Amino acid sequence: MTGGGAKKKAAEAKPSAAVDKKKTGAPFGLLAVAWFVPGIGHWILGKKRRAVVFGVVIVCAFVTGVLLDGELGTPKPGNPFSWLAAFACLGNGILYIGRLLWLNGFGDLLGGIPFDLLGGGSPSAAGFAYGNTFLYTAGLMNLLTVLDVSDIARGEKD
Amino acid sequence: MDHLLLLLWHAFLVSAFFAFLWRTTTPGRLKLFLKTLVIMVIGGFLLGWLMFPFP
Repeated sequence: MTGGGAKKKAAEAKPSAAVDKKKTGAPFGLLAVAWFVPGIGHWILGKKRRAVVFGVVIVCAFVTGVLLDGELGTPKPGNPFSWLAAFACLGNGILYIGRLLWLNGFGDLLGGIPFDLLGGGSPSAAGFAYGNTFLYTAGLMNLLTVLDVSDIARGEKD
Repeated sequence: MDHLLLLLWHAFLVSAFFAFLWRTTTPGRLKLFLKTLVIMVIGGFLLGWLMFPFP
């Protein structure tokens, strides 16, 4: 009887532990790292194949966008939609920051926030629009991986 | 610059991404990858032709 009672208590304890994990949320540091380096969040959680695929896909999309002379989204005065483009591209994490550093230099990068940043690209290039699309897609995919990391860390998904 | 190649490349990257995001088994991933790839490529063609009459 006591063994059955102990088993019953353990079974009752399990759902509340799972609920507690969901309530507390994923660690902020993990999500920040997952945003900063595409794929690394999944690597930390042990989902190595997914980490490699996500990292390769996002980097390939970003590099394709740069090679097609796409412009990194940066805020522009009087253009509210530019903030959406900037948000999408910011999703690329270190790729976005690295590219901005490459284009602006460290001093001009800090002093240029938010409206004086160079986004690179060439509007007259044949692949300009495609390049932009690849850059935005890469950033948004990385943001989705951050959400996925959060779900996995909270136990809502395998 | 080859438009078709860029369409295929973009479709490939996005399809691979969502296959690994939304499925955890290899057969499931392959099935979703092919499904989204075909939909994106054919959909791209269809949209292109639908927009053709418009300037």
